[in-house]
Amino acid sequence: MKAVGFAWRTLVRQPARAVLAVLGVAAAGALLLDMLLLSNGLVASMRDLLERTGWDVRVTRTGDAPRRGPRITSVAATLEAMSALSGVRSAVAVRAVDAAVETAAHTPLVSLLQGASGGAPPPWTVLRGTDARERGEVVLNESASAALEAEPGREVTVRASCATGDEALPPVQLRITGIAAFPFEIAREHMLGATLDTLAVVCGGGEAADQADIILVQSTGDPSAAAAAITAMRPDLRAVTNDDMVGRLEQNEFTYFRQISTVLTTVTLSFAVLLITVLITVSVNQRLGEIAALRALGFSRSRVVADVLAESALIVALGGLASLPLGMLMARWLDGILKGIPGIPAAMHFFVYEESTLALHIALLATTALVAALYPMRIVSRLPIAATLRDEVTE
Amino acid sequence: MVRSALVAPLLVCLLSSVAVAQSPTPSILIARQLAEAQQISVGAIVRLASKADGSDAREFVVAGIYEPTPDPARLGSIPNEVRLHLPDLLALTREAGEIAGAEHVSSINVALVHPSEASTFAADVNARLPGVLAMTAANAAGSAGPFLVIERFHRAIAIVTIAAATVFLLALTIMLVDERRETVGVLRLIGLPSRRILTQVLIEGLLVAAAGTMFGLVLAALSQQLINAFFQWRYDTALVFVRITREVALTATAIAVPLGTAATVIASWALLRRNALRLARR
Repeated sequence: MKAVGFAWRTLVRQPARAVLAVLGVAAAGALLLDMLLLSNGLVASMRDLLERTGWDVRVTRTGDAPRRGPRITSVAATLEAMSALSGVRSAVAVRAVDAAVETAAHTPLVSLLQGASGGAPPPWTVLRGTDARERGEVVLNESASAALEAEPGREVTVRASCATGDEALPPVQLRITGIAAFPFEIAREHMLGATLDTLAVVCGGGEAADQADIILVQSTGDPSAAAAAITAMRPDLRAVTNDDMVGRLEQNEFTYFRQISTVLTTVTLSFAVLLITVLITVSVNQRLGEIAALRALGFSRSRVVADVLAESALIVALGGLASLPLGMLMARWLDGILKGIPGIPAAMHFFVYEESTLALHIALLATTALVAALYPMRIVSRLPIAATLRDEVTE
Repeated sequence: MVRSALVAPLLVCLLSSVAVAQSPTPSILIARQLAEAQQISVGAIVRLASKADGSDAREFVVAGIYEPTPDPARLGSIPNEVRLHLPDLLALTREAGEIAGAEHVSSINVALVHPSEASTFAADVNARLPGVLAMTAANAAGSAGPFLVIERFHRAIAIVTIAAATVFLLALTIMLVDERRETVGVLRLIGLPSRRILTQVLIEGLLVAAAGTMFGLVLAALSQQLINAFFQWRYDTALVFVRITREVALTATAIAVPLGTAATVIASWALLRRNALRLARR
């Protein structure tokens, strides 16, 4: 504690340089914190988003993302068979098609129409009004509602594109029953939700109601067992758990951010170590006479070494404390920039706070303080007392 | 006006590769990554099918192995691709009962005799061919969107880094200038005006900043090779991740030199405002 008090007085004696050093550490620490938040942020956010939806197994034909692979056929029979499995609590089939929504006052609004089978909660949350449970009913997301200036009770005309871009399906009138939030909606994306029956009507009938892009399954508690049971029952389908999906995303799509985060973390730490080392070394060099005098007065070698370490620790600790709010503010700013990437769901974040991240941040800063103090500590520990005092007097 | 046309390739299912053969078998090009993964060499016969169950597979001879054009939008995914002649591709993917010649192609790339007329040509095509959307290559490069965002992100990181470096630099220069307080005091006592000392400090700061910038640029030029080599290895792509262009070097110089010089002058200015006797006093 004595060493910390002494180091504090040393810093206070030179307030300008101390404040600048702390501010420098705060900026570097904020960048470090952000890079740590980024390294696992997207994966943590995706995991959180997947878990919040309540569905823990996703079934598709090929394992590709919905609408990128062939559709599941014979949906009604598949759902019935799945529901009979002991590990499955509920299942809902979902299909999405492109749709142009028309109103009397507006030009067609390009949007995505999701159809969900009945018998289980739909993959959206109703915010206002009621859910679209009957044929001819539809819910809109906030973005579509604002763009169309449409509220529950109004009707919209929908022209869908269900098979290829060349078809010309007839327009269908749908009644808006509510405004809903879709978990994976992209920022400013216009989305509609209805039943699979309604989607079949929009798609011109036929087998459209018995096809789906994905089946969302809620297990009774063991997603892996439920996925295995589904795969055993229907080997032509691919059932993946949320953990499988996150693992896949971790290994492929999001690796760039982890790599860039690792590179920037390394650069930031090296930068901070180098600069704190230089600052403390110059500071120590300016006080060599003073330190030698203290040694001559009876201060032990370990005590003056501890003073230098405490000075480094104080600068890093104060800067580190300031880096937390600064880092969180910066994270919001950088998150806003990165969410401009097309196709990123609005509810996802690149920078996600986790307790383990804060612990790692503290550990890295503590290491920085120690490593940065090593060289000046060496100078102080090897300081020849008599020679230094003589030099100070004769200079 | 139109010199050539090339249809975008379609990924098809690779079934097997067998012995080398010389025959009228249609030829294909195969992506390097796929060739390496499946150990396929030039001259090998492979069977391709458009259906997952492998039905209606056809034989092709590998005429060459190509490096896929780096695509920022597909970073991280292994380009398991082959390139076929368009008639072979259409024959392979044609549905039963579909009349030959009624197939779709996804896009047509057009090389113009006069590239500067691209916008006019695109407008002309759009006016004459309803249902076809013609765009200039610059407008069609929408897939680079994510990377424009990442560029903005990197710029933001650069701003924060510059801010942190400026603060550290200022702290450092204050300390270094403080070390020379006696020298400055003596210079002022022997009659050198503050302006003269400040000019000297300015020139000194300029030289140090210029030398530091040069060192930084050399370090960046060397590290760009390392960073590119690492990420190209990591993603198995020919994409260039870091490129120190003339503009980048000039921007870095335009920021670093004035910043370094200004830090020195600001730190010295505070010192020069003090009394000369106090500065020279031990």
